[in-house]
Amino acid sequence: MAALLSVRDLAVHYATAAGPVRAVDGANFDVPAGSIVGLVGESGCGKSTLGRALMGVMPRSASIPAGSAVFEGRDLVALSAKERKELLWRRLSFVPQTAMNALDPVQRVGAQLMEVLTERGGLSRQAAAERAAALFGLVGLDARRLRDWPHQFSGGMRQRASIALALALEPALMIADEPVTALDVIVQRQILDVMKELQARLGLAMILVTHDVAVVAYACDRVVVMYAGRVVESGPVRAVLEAPLHPYTMGLMNAFPDLDRAGGELVPIEGSPPSLLNPPAGCRFAARCPFAVARCADDPPLVAESPDHHAACWRVSEATELRPKAAQAATWASVVA
Amino acid sequence: MKRVLGRLGHAAFVLWAVASLTFIMFRLMPGDPTLNFLSESFSEEMRAALLTSFGLDKPLPEQYVLYLGSLLRGDLGVSFLQKKPVLDILLDALPNTVALTVTALVVAYAFGIIAGAFLAFARGSVTEGIAIPAALITRAAPEFWLGMILLAWLSFAWGIFPSSGANEAGSEFTSEWARLTSADFLWHLTLPALTLALYLQGLPLLLMRATMLEVLNDEFIVMARMKGLSRWAIVMRHAARNALLPVATAFALGLGSSFGGNVVIETVFSWPGLGRVLVSAVQGADYPLAQGAFILIAAVLVTMNMVADLLYAWLDPRVSVGARR
Amino acid sequence: MPGAKAVWRFLRSQPFALVGIGIYALFIVLAIFADQIATHDPRQILFSGAYRVARYLPPSATHYLGTTAGGRDIFSQLVHGTRSALTVGVTAAFCVVVLGSLMGLLAGYLGGWVDRIIMRVSDIVLGLPFLPFILVISALTRPGTTTLVASVALLLWPNTARVIRSQVLSLRERGWVEAARVTGCSPMRIIFVHIAPQVAPLAALYGSIAVGWAILTEASASFLGFGDPAAISWGLMLQDAFANQALSREAWNWFIPPGLCIVALVLAGFLVSRGSEKLLFPKLGD
Repeated sequence: MAALLSVRDLAVHYATAAGPVRAVDGANFDVPAGSIVGLVGESGCGKSTLGRALMGVMPRSASIPAGSAVFEGRDLVALSAKERKELLWRRLSFVPQTAMNALDPVQRVGAQLMEVLTERGGLSRQAAAERAAALFGLVGLDARRLRDWPHQFSGGMRQRASIALALALEPALMIADEPVTALDVIVQRQILDVMKELQARLGLAMILVTHDVAVVAYACDRVVVMYAGRVVESGPVRAVLEAPLHPYTMGLMNAFPDLDRAGGELVPIEGSPPSLLNPPAGCRFAARCPFAVARCADDPPLVAESPDHHAACWRVSEATELRPKAAQAATWASVVA
Repeated sequence: MKRVLGRLGHAAFVLWAVASLTFIMFRLMPGDPTLNFLSESFSEEMRAALLTSFGLDKPLPEQYVLYLGSLLRGDLGVSFLQKKPVLDILLDALPNTVALTVTALVVAYAFGIIAGAFLAFARGSVTEGIAIPAALITRAAPEFWLGMILLAWLSFAWGIFPSSGANEAGSEFTSEWARLTSADFLWHLTLPALTLALYLQGLPLLLMRATMLEVLNDEFIVMARMKGLSRWAIVMRHAARNALLPVATAFALGLGSSFGGNVVIETVFSWPGLGRVLVSAVQGADYPLAQGAFILIAAVLVTMNMVADLLYAWLDPRVSVGARR
Repeated sequence: MPGAKAVWRFLRSQPFALVGIGIYALFIVLAIFADQIATHDPRQILFSGAYRVARYLPPSATHYLGTTAGGRDIFSQLVHGTRSALTVGVTAAFCVVVLGSLMGLLAGYLGGWVDRIIMRVSDIVLGLPFLPFILVISALTRPGTTTLVASVALLLWPNTARVIRSQVLSLRERGWVEAARVTGCSPMRIIFVHIAPQVAPLAALYGSIAVGWAILTEASASFLGFGDPAAISWGLMLQDAFANQALSREAWNWFIPPGLCIVALVLAGFLVSRGSEKLLFPKLGD
């Protein structure tokens, strides 16, 4: 199975006065062509950094000291600035979080769409105008609103416009960073529906960065769970969510309202992720894990439990016994030191 | 449109208040306005006749009504000392002040915007370490002192530029426009305009740098980079256009305030503009002239404050175009 | 309010602010010990040899910066000028801060017609051209330091008031203000005991900028001949130099030092305010 994107041992560090912050510290996962992959974890686990690092647009203090990300046969990490520019938006595009500022506030929405179509897509103004209208139709916006300013759009409309922008040049992979986080639940679902439908119709692949397990369950084919800069579990959505292997994934399921198990008790994972400045040795989740054992002082490797389902935990083989315990609130309460 | 009308009404209110304040200032202050004007040899009748001719014998409320009426007609009275209509004197001085202010501001803002944008990209560099303190120093220096240094250096020591006036004495021109565009005038203009520009450039420079740094961190700039747009398009079309909003407002405000602030520069360079008219009128207790010059300067200030507001609203769609759903 | 230790740690990390405070300290010492530091009486007309006024002397061991056209010692004038600069700067800044904070607090907390009137008045004040207004006032009353300080305060308070007002508008919605209101505190008590301390740092920031404005204004007014003629100030020194052909005589020793002193003192205000801006609003800088 040739993946569209293959991330191997990827690390992203931020230089600070106190030393490097290891925001992403050896990430491994694949994105098959034409699938939606959810990248999920608590805030500060490195998932957004990872998404932006793949685009190659990061703050000046960020660097990629190790690893590779092979996309359509080329390593994104090793690309020259010029090669990357060629690739950006044409093969690889980005949908930002629904912040007001993701669209230039002093340019009409249509102009921002036209800019990409003419300057990056090489379309004539005439062709670009037609394509812009078509793109707006595709994401369910009225083409007349191309002449609006960004502030005249609601949050959901802005998100649709951002998706239209990302689709403009028909990329192979679209990275969406918390695309529905700032929206209310009804609009969330509308936007996710648009994304799912377009993905199916256009056959592109997506990475959907989110902290919300429910979003993953609703929209994704595969899921990659990140904790403290590392991938702790990955696999098909059904396999991972129905039979999680890693205690962190089990905890994450408890902490979010589930789409199917409505009415279930919400159990937060106590504590917070470790500092990425001096991450602890061994399993990074051990300090918050109710099932931690002596062996967790060593780093658990990401192993394949089934051909398509990976997890990084010493007690993977006991997952079936641990799962019922993880569903009880008392298990998690006992960890608090 | 409603906004423009509202802002016009507001400006009219402020102008009325400033005019009334001016009236009070000039009438109720201690000292007899005629004292300086009248020589000892004047008889009581002559004095009374003069007071009547200036309307100073009437009760204050009546004077106030007459004053507002003539202001509306553009009649600013007659100068005590020059015996000419105040308006004529002011209109003679106006082109010189406009030429000086506009030239200096355009030079200062052109330089400040470019240098400020450049500095936003040169964070932490040696250039920044020198340029920012230098900009702060020019903001901290009294403008007349900057003028004195340039005068002593470029005019007296090196003899490059003339030291005073707007034109060579005795030169004649076919029209005011011919005078303002003559090489002689521009030659005289260089030093005062340079001084004023030197004093003014710090504000647009620091403002442009600060807003540029803020804008460059905005998500839409990150998005522009992700789109693979050219550096030129990112900086000029997205960053600069956003960063220029406050700078454009500052330009309009600066036009209004340096119009009256030119007082010192015009004195240093003996530049025959409004500021000097005001200073000499105040020194010579020529009250109608001082009052007229003050009101004109205030009117320009109030107008430019209004223009700055409207300009900002017009440039920023978030203000000018209401949200719709 | 940050503690003393935090302030010190901050100052060490903020060389700009430290330089500003250093300049202030230097000038304060100069002002206090002006009589001891000055080599001559700044007003005294000096003579060299047989009844010849010591005019336009170049810098020397006896006259560090030479003498003026009137035969007075420039260095001594410069040292004594520190006093009037600091007096004008500090009193004007104090008045601006007090007046501006008072108006801002009242407008922000009381709202309604009080707010409308104060804001309207501040609109009118912002419509008055700064220097021309000061010239006219000085000419119509007696020129002097008091007039100058009063007019600077009258013209500069709206900026402070507007910032304080918007700060108060957000503070008055906070829980503890609500709590004070419910427990029956009088509005005046809430304004001055509960809210005023919260906005004091912001007011101080505007004060440090007003110091510079006041000193520059004093210099400009003196230069134009509307200062206190009896005072010894840097602005008057520059006016004296300008009126007595210091420029054509290239007497740099006469007109450069007073200007440099003004720059240094105004700059110190900028540096301190830039620094304190970071202390008060850490989000602005990085």
